[in-house]
Amino acid sequence: MKCLSYAVNALLFFFCLAGHADEPLYQVQDGYKVDAETMKGFRTWRAAACDRCHGANQQGLVGPSLIERLKILTKDEFVKTVTEGRLEKGMPSFKTSKSVMSNLDQLYAYLKGRSDGAITRSKVEAIQ
Amino acid sequence: MRIKFTHLAVPLALVAATGIVQANSDVEKNIANPANWAMQAGDMYNQRYSKLNQINAGNVGKMQVAWTFSTGVLRGHEGSPLVIGDMMYIHSAFPNKVFAMDLNTQTIKWKYEPKQDPAVIPQMCCDTVNRGVAYAEGKVFLQQADSTLVALDAKTGKVVWSVKNGDPSLGAVNTNAPHVFKNKVITGISGGEWGVRGYLAAYDIKTGELAWKGYSTGPDDEMLIDPNKTTTWKDGKVQPVGADSSLSTWQEDQWKIGGGTTWGWYSYDKALNLVYYGTGNPSTWNPAQRPGDNKWSMSIWARDVDTGKVKWVYQMTPYDEWDFDGINEMILADINVKGKMTKALVHFDRNGFGYTLDRTNGALLVAQKYDPAVNWATHVDMKTGRPQVVSRYSTAQNGPEKNTKGVCPAALGSKDQQPAAFNPNNGLFYVPTNHVCMDYEPFAVEYVAGQPYVGATLAMYPPPGEKNMGNFIVWDANAGKIVQSKPEKFSVWSGVLTTAGGIACYGTLEGYLKCVDSKNINKELFKFKTPSGIIGNVFAYQHKGQEYIGVYSGIGGWAGIGLAAGLEKDADGLGAVGGYKELANYTDLGGSLTVFALPPK
Repeated sequence: MKCLSYAVNALLFFFCLAGHADEPLYQVQDGYKVDAETMKGFRTWRAAACDRCHGANQQGLVGPSLIERLKILTKDEFVKTVTEGRLEKGMPSFKTSKSVMSNLDQLYAYLKGRSDGAITRSKVEAIQ
Repeated sequence: MRIKFTHLAVPLALVAATGIVQANSDVEKNIANPANWAMQAGDMYNQRYSKLNQINAGNVGKMQVAWTFSTGVLRGHEGSPLVIGDMMYIHSAFPNKVFAMDLNTQTIKWKYEPKQDPAVIPQMCCDTVNRGVAYAEGKVFLQQADSTLVALDAKTGKVVWSVKNGDPSLGAVNTNAPHVFKNKVITGISGGEWGVRGYLAAYDIKTGELAWKGYSTGPDDEMLIDPNKTTTWKDGKVQPVGADSSLSTWQEDQWKIGGGTTWGWYSYDKALNLVYYGTGNPSTWNPAQRPGDNKWSMSIWARDVDTGKVKWVYQMTPYDEWDFDGINEMILADINVKGKMTKALVHFDRNGFGYTLDRTNGALLVAQKYDPAVNWATHVDMKTGRPQVVSRYSTAQNGPEKNTKGVCPAALGSKDQQPAAFNPNNGLFYVPTNHVCMDYEPFAVEYVAGQPYVGATLAMYPPPGEKNMGNFIVWDANAGKIVQSKPEKFSVWSGVLTTAGGIACYGTLEGYLKCVDSKNINKELFKFKTPSGIIGNVFAYQHKGQEYIGVYSGIGGWAGIGLAAGLEKDADGLGAVGGYKELANYTDLGGSLTVFALPPK
């Protein structure tokens, strides 16, 4: 993965590109304004109540810090963990949740943006 | 016995009635002997008072550790063991082990460890607590996480009967202790954050057969409410609830996934034959999705123990907007209220108000704040029984996607399930409290069976300008006033014990067991650091003439979650600062029992 940042009119732009394609994984302005797809990722995070275990700021509570975990997990491992869960550890399977299953890429993008430090606060807004 | 006989005719009438009104003679016999700790609260009134006085205000400072025991389970340990005669029954968090310990030899006579689907672990988000077992007529009753209620042979640990109480695939799991009243074992259900429709259920202690099941929401017959006979507090008096008292307060079919779960501590008044308990939050946490009072979530209930029929019900927090579950214990005590000896029910609600009701009919007598920080309502209107909500702190009025800031108390309440104690010697209550505020941002959420159904993001922190997140208080339920208050660094998330020895004991999240002078709680007489943070309940028993005081340690539960608090700015989370981090300076996981006694003379 490679990330680029540049400033235009005092706004900080941040792009991360997935390694295998030159599609940006997420786009961020000012640390909290994100593209429409990443916004869906945030809404998925919230609707699935991930914060109850991972903390409102992904900092980790009963569940691990996703800021840290997303530095280690591959995308495939991330998808597997969310889909199958890690039941013994308390991580549920979201297999039956349509909203999570159809937004896995977006959820990954949002959390990766948080983990990379590009998205600087948990609550994001759409780029206008 | 709490009744004084003045006329000969009265005891005769009572004797004649004992054939009908019996609390369960075996349990009654066991709780009458203060050497036992035969129920989770020590008695059926939820008083948590021990008549033992060998350990007292004068010598508790000399108390030492007598013995310890590890449950081998790391997660949060709530409730307490039971002691009946020479046997102690010790339970653990998931996987819900039960150990039968012979106190004479300190050996494990049997151990029960159920095989449970690990899929229930994440459904217990965020911790896999269990609040303990019940004992009656040679059986130990365990309410497993996967909702299976089992009766174990107290001598062998073999399963006598087993019954499925809920559907865990829908998030209907259990954390509560079962309670034996009369010939029934009473249990509830958890899952308010999964859209579970709550109920209280009674099973026959001999066979496990379902005797009755009363829902918290929905049609009258399913709640076991009689519109003409069941009463509530309306317009300053006790009146029949009328038809469709629940259905008329919900939009469409939301009541079917509307919560009102029942995971607290129940109590029982033998003379009235009523079981008392509270119901939890309406689902979801986003009030915009459920306009109406959402009856009978957030309510105090009195049901006939034989039939489950509702005698009376009172809703504390109509149309909840803050997750102020009403499940906290109902303490029954005969106290002076407004100049009259009253069969009272005293309840410290999550919403921050301490309630005193007439438990015979549900009349509202007192409702006052038991933490001065409480700000979401100015007061409870005594005529309507409704809290007067402050608009600024109304998450419904502010609406979805708006962050309502500075609401006190936080969702975990001025007190959560950690039970308070009554001291019959002075008529006062000893209450472990939380002193935490929150920001609450609701948002629209869709119901998917078996998936979390929450719909709000929360941040919790101590009240502005303060550092302590808990207080241990003494409460006058007649005046509705705090008599004494002792600040604690973290929430006091441990059940209190009061004793005839003039002491009150509780645990702290850092892991200290503390015993204070019940006359002056700021006089700390004893303090000992146990292996982990305490969220269990202090209990007392006597064996071979020696008094013991014990408590589980094992940090976890929502207390740990609440301690994620202190994240004033979103970005703080990135550095993982805040209260939780600070608690890590004191303690870590690990379930164990520590038992104290006076040193040998």
